[in-house]
Amino acid sequence: MNAALTLRQRSEAEASRLPPLLARAEHLAGTVLLGDHGRRRSGMGDDFWQYRPAQIGDSRRMIDHRRSARGDQQFVREREWQIAQSVMLWVDQGASMRFASDKALPSKADRARLLGLATAILLVRGGERVGLTGTTLPPRRGNAQIIRLAEAWSEDSEVDYAPPEHRAMIPHARAVFISDFLGPMDEVELALTKAADRGVRGVLLQVLDPGEETFPFAGRTIFESVGGTVRHETLKAGELRDRYLERLAARKDALTHLCRATGWQLGLHHTGDSAPSALLWLYRALDGGVQ
Amino acid sequence: MTVLAGIGFTAPWVLLGLLTLPILWLILRAVPPAPIRRMFPAVTLLLGLKDDESVSDRTPWWLLLLRMLAAAAIIIGLAGPVLNPSRDQAGTGPLMLVLDASWAGATRWSSTLDQIDAQLTEAGRAGRPVSILRLTEPEPPVFQAAEAWRNRLPGLVPNPWQPTEDQVDQVIAALDQVEGGFDTHWFSDRLGYENHPELVSELQSRGQVTVYRSNAAALALLPAVYQDGVIQLTALRAEPGPEESVTVLAHGRDPAGTARILQSAEMTFAAGETQAQIDLALPSELRARITRFELQGQRSAGAVTLTDDSLRRREVALIAGTLNREGLELLSPLHYLTQVLIPTADFVEGGLPEVLPANPDVIVLSDVAQISGPEEVALIEWVEQGGLLLRFAGPRMAASDLGRDEEDTLLPVRLRSGGRTVGGAMSWGESKTLAPFPEDSPFYGLPIPKDVTVSTQVMAQPDPNLADRVIASLSDGTPLVTRKALGLGQVVLFHVTADAEWSSLPLSGLFVEMLDRLAVASAAKSRQVAQLEGTTWEPVQIMDGFGALSDAGTLAGVDGVELVSGQIGPDLRPGLYESGKQKLARNVLSEETTLSLVAWPADVPIRGQEVSTETPLGGILLSFALILLTVDVIASLALSGRLGLAKATAVAMGAVLLVPEAQAQSPDETDFALAATHELVLAHVLTGDSQVDDIAQAGLRGLAQTLNYRTSVEPAAPIGVDLERDELAFFPLLYWPITQDQPRPSDEAYAKLNAYLRSGGMILFDTRDADIAGFGASSPNGRKLQQLAAPLNIPALEPIPNDHVLTRTFYLLQDFPGRYAGTDVWVEAAPLDAEQIEGMPFRNLNDNVTPVVIGGNDWAGAWAVDRNGQALLPVGRGYAGERQRELANRFGVNLVMHVLTGNYKSDQVHVPALLDRLGQ
Repeated sequence: MNAALTLRQRSEAEASRLPPLLARAEHLAGTVLLGDHGRRRSGMGDDFWQYRPAQIGDSRRMIDHRRSARGDQQFVREREWQIAQSVMLWVDQGASMRFASDKALPSKADRARLLGLATAILLVRGGERVGLTGTTLPPRRGNAQIIRLAEAWSEDSEVDYAPPEHRAMIPHARAVFISDFLGPMDEVELALTKAADRGVRGVLLQVLDPGEETFPFAGRTIFESVGGTVRHETLKAGELRDRYLERLAARKDALTHLCRATGWQLGLHHTGDSAPSALLWLYRALDGGVQ
Repeated sequence: MTVLAGIGFTAPWVLLGLLTLPILWLILRAVPPAPIRRMFPAVTLLLGLKDDESVSDRTPWWLLLLRMLAAAAIIIGLAGPVLNPSRDQAGTGPLMLVLDASWAGATRWSSTLDQIDAQLTEAGRAGRPVSILRLTEPEPPVFQAAEAWRNRLPGLVPNPWQPTEDQVDQVIAALDQVEGGFDTHWFSDRLGYENHPELVSELQSRGQVTVYRSNAAALALLPAVYQDGVIQLTALRAEPGPEESVTVLAHGRDPAGTARILQSAEMTFAAGETQAQIDLALPSELRARITRFELQGQRSAGAVTLTDDSLRRREVALIAGTLNREGLELLSPLHYLTQVLIPTADFVEGGLPEVLPANPDVIVLSDVAQISGPEEVALIEWVEQGGLLLRFAGPRMAASDLGRDEEDTLLPVRLRSGGRTVGGAMSWGESKTLAPFPEDSPFYGLPIPKDVTVSTQVMAQPDPNLADRVIASLSDGTPLVTRKALGLGQVVLFHVTADAEWSSLPLSGLFVEMLDRLAVASAAKSRQVAQLEGTTWEPVQIMDGFGALSDAGTLAGVDGVELVSGQIGPDLRPGLYESGKQKLARNVLSEETTLSLVAWPADVPIRGQEVSTETPLGGILLSFALILLTVDVIASLALSGRLGLAKATAVAMGAVLLVPEAQAQSPDETDFALAATHELVLAHVLTGDSQVDDIAQAGLRGLAQTLNYRTSVEPAAPIGVDLERDELAFFPLLYWPITQDQPRPSDEAYAKLNAYLRSGGMILFDTRDADIAGFGASSPNGRKLQQLAAPLNIPALEPIPNDHVLTRTFYLLQDFPGRYAGTDVWVEAAPLDAEQIEGMPFRNLNDNVTPVVIGGNDWAGAWAVDRNGQALLPVGRGYAGERQRELANRFGVNLVMHVLTGNYKSDQVHVPALLDRLGQ
C-alpha cells in the first residue's frame, strides 16, 4: 500500500467526522437567537445611522445625492459603526480530554469541540472574526472558517495535558479557552496573565466528567492518565475520595482567583449536563463582554 | 496402589505437594489483590496522596483458607484417590477369563460384566495380557492388552444355550494350541454341562483356576403344555432350597393390538423341591392371544417360553347343507368332522350370518351349494382376510349348477355336473384308492392306508390351472382335494362327502392328519416327530440370551424333525418357526430338561460375584477445587471493588455450570417448528423496522396467494424469522429486506445462516433502493448489505445470465422487476467451464440452487397485498405499472419454483440425448 493511498484513506476517515460535528454544532447554534452587534455610534457599517450636513473635509464622494437632491443643503449619509470583533478560541486537544466515565456520556473532548464550534458558528453569524489562538488559524470571517476550525479540531493531540496556546494573541481581542484545566496550573496562569497584558479578555470554560466530580472508586487501583504519562497507585481508592474532592475544589478556587485577577470569566460544565445551557452561558458571557 | 485409611492412591507421591501448602500460605498472605487499572484524567490531582498506613491491604484469612483448600483439593485429586480399592492379589503372567455365557447367567450379566471390567482394569494395571473365552461361542484364545478387551466388553453377550459338548471339545482343542501357562478366572453360571470336568482339568494343568459364580442359580420355565382345558406351566430351579415363589407373566396382545400382560400367576417352589407347577385356566379367546410366558424378574432365555399353535384352539364353524335330523347323529354329514375336531378346536354354532362376525379360523361347508348374495360377499371378504374355507362335496353340490360354466369364487375348480360313481353295485369299475401325494402338496409324506377307497366323487372340469390346484388325487388321476388361494386365505374342496357315504376317507386316520396339515386342526399332540418329517420350518423370530425376540433375518430354514428333537445351539436357535400357516415355537428348554448344578473340584477356589466397585475420587476433588476457585474469583472481585464485574462473572459462571439444564427444548420452539413445517412456509427476516417487516409479511402473503392460484405450490401464511432465536432449517426461502439500522446478527446466527445456505436454503436479499441507486456499495442499503453479508459463505456472483434456470422454472422471464425495475439481479456465477453445446438452447449450468439472489427491486413491495387481496403499494403508473407487478409476481413464482425444483428445468437440456438413446 503506498503512502498516497493511506493518506487518502485517513483523510476520508477524517472527513467523515466533520459533517456530524458541523451539523451538530449548527444545530446547537440554532438554539440561540442572535442579538445585535451595533456600536450605537456612526462609523463603518452596513446599517443606516443618520444624515448629517456635509462639512468641510468631507469628500464629494461621501455626499448622499438622493437626500441632498430634495433641498439645497448637502447631506452625508452616516452608517452605524459595526466593526467586527476578533474572537480567538482554544479547545484542549490533549489526550486527557478523551475520557468519558460512562459509555452513555460523550467524552470531554467531544463536548468541548462541540461547544467551541457552536460558539464559532454563532460568532460568525454575528459577523465576528473567529480563529484559533496561535499562528495556525488567524481570525477570519465566513463559513469557510468554520470548516477550517472543524478540521483543526478533528485532530487529536498525543500530549497528555495540553498547555493553553497563548502565542500570537491579537491585542484587545476576545478569547475562549475550553479545557478541563487539570494539567499544570502555571501554564494556565502564564497564558492568562499574558492575555491580560495584551488587553485580551475572555472566558474559561472548564469541562469535567461527572466521574471526576464524584470519584466513584474503591479497592486497589492504579490510576493512569489517558496518555499514560502519569500514574498513581493506591490500595484503597475509597479512602482517597475526600482528599481528592478537596483538591478538586482547590483547583477550581485557583481558577476563580486567576480569572478575577485577569478579568476573565470562568464557567463550569459537566459532560452529563445538556450542551445548549453551556452554549447559552458561553454566548452570553462573550456577548456581555463585547457590549 | 498405596492405601491410606480405606482410600487408595494411584500416584501417592503427588501427596508430597501438600508440604508446599504452608509456603503457599505465606506467599499468598503477602500478596495483596491485583490492582485494577483505571483511566482517570484527574490523576494529576491525586499525585502525592498517600494511603493510610493503618489499612494495609492483605488478603483476608478466609480467602486464604479458600485458596488453600482449593490447592489441597487439586493436589489430592491429582494423586488419584480411589475409594474401595480392590485388594485382589494381583498375579502375574497371562490371564484367561472363561465365561459360560449361557442363558443361565443372562439375568446377572451386567454385574458379571462389571466384575470382568474390574478384573480387566486390575490386569491392565498389572500389565497382564488377557484373553476372554466364551464357552457358548468359542474362538481360538488370543491374548491381548486389557484395554483392547475393555472396548469389546459391550459386545460380549450371553447365548441362549448351554455350552454343548462339541463346543467344549473345541475349546479344549484350542487350548492345546496355546503355549505357556496362564491363570484362569472362570465366570460360572452355576449350571453343569457335558465335558465340564475335562475342561477344568485342562485349565488347571495350565495354571491357577479361580471360579467366580453368581449368587443364585437361574430359574427356568418349561414349555407350556395344554392339557385337559388348562395350561400347565412348570418352573425349575437348579438347587433345592427354601420355599421360594416366583411370578409367571403371560404376555400377549390385547384386541387393539397393544402388547400387554394378559395374566400373571404365582408359583411356589416348596422347600427342598426343584419344580413348581401351576395350572392356568383361561378362556380360549385369551389363550389364543398369549405369545409367551416369562418369569418375572428373570432376564434370560431360559425363563421365557414361547407359545405356538399348540396352545391355540382353532375356532371352527361347521355348516351343513341339510339340517340335522333328530336322532340320526351317525348320519349327520358333520359327525366325523366333529369327532376329529373336538379335541383340538372350539366350535362356533349357527348359520353363516351369525358365524361370520365371530371371525372363526375355519368355516366348513359340508355339501352346501347355494349361498345367498350378501352372505357370499361377506364370506369372500372373510376368506380374503385370511380365512380357511373348507368345502365338502355331496349330492346337493353334484346336483347343482355350482361352478358349472365358470369358476365359482368360492370353489377351487369348475365342476362337471352329476359327479361319478365308481365301484358301486351298478358300476363296472373298482373303488379307487388314493395316489401318493405329490411333493408340493401339503399332505406330502403322510402314509396312505390301503383301505381308504372312494366310490363317488364330484369331477373337476379340465382347466389349464387344474393341475396346480390339485393337492390330492385318486389313483386314476382324478382330483380328490383341490385348493386355491383367495386373497390371504384359501378355499379347499374335498371332492367327497364329509361322512362315509361316498368314501371311507373320513373313517381313516389319514383324514385327521390331512385336516391337521391343512391347519384345520392343530394341537400339541400333532408335534409328533413322524408328522413333521419332510417339512421345513423357517425361523420368524429368534430369541437371544436375554429372552428378547428379534427378527430372524436371513437365517436358513430348519428340518421339522431337527427342530423338535435337535439340541439348541448355534445352528438351531430358539424362537418362533413357521411353515405355511402353522407356527411352531422352539424354546430353550424342552419338557424333559432338568437343571443340574455344576460340581467343582475341591482345589478350585470359588468366589462370589459381589463387586466392590472402585470409586475414583479424583474427579470429585478436582471439581470441588474448581468450585472453590470460582468462589475465590468472585470473592476477590468483590474485595477489589469490581463488584459489577463480579456479578457478570457470577452470572456467566452460573450459566457455564448450569448449561445442561438449560438445553431442554421449550414448548415455544416446538410450536414454532410445528407452525413452520405443517405446510410449506415462506419466511422473511425480521429487521426490527416494523414498516419494512409488515411489507415483507404482506409481500410474502401476496406471493403465497399467487402461487396458490397459479401453481401446485400452496404455501401457508408466511412467518417472520428472528435470526437469533428461530431455527431456519424449516424454510426453503428466506426473504431478507435490508434496512440501514438493522442490527448485525450474532456469530451464532451467522453459523445458523451458513448452515442454512450449505444445506440448500436460499436467501433473497433486497436492498429496496433500485429507484435511487444502482446495485453496489453506492447506496446506504448497499453498504449495509455488504456488512451483513460479509460473514456469509456466498459463492462468486454474476448478474442472472440469459440462460439461467431462473428464467424458465415456471414462466419465461428475461427481467426481474419488483416495485422498481432496477438493474441487475445477482445469482451464483456459472462454473467457468460451462459451455453452450451446439444445438442446445441453454448451457448446462449449476447443478444446484443458487444460495443467494441479490437485488434492490423491492419485490415484497410489488407482491404485497392486504387481507382482502388488494395490492398495498402502487407500482409504476397505469397499465405499465400493473404489467410490472405481474412480472414481479412471475419472478416470485419462478423463484419459489427454482428453490423447490432445483435445476429440474435445466435438465431438459438432456431431453434430446435421452430421446436419442430411446431410439425415438
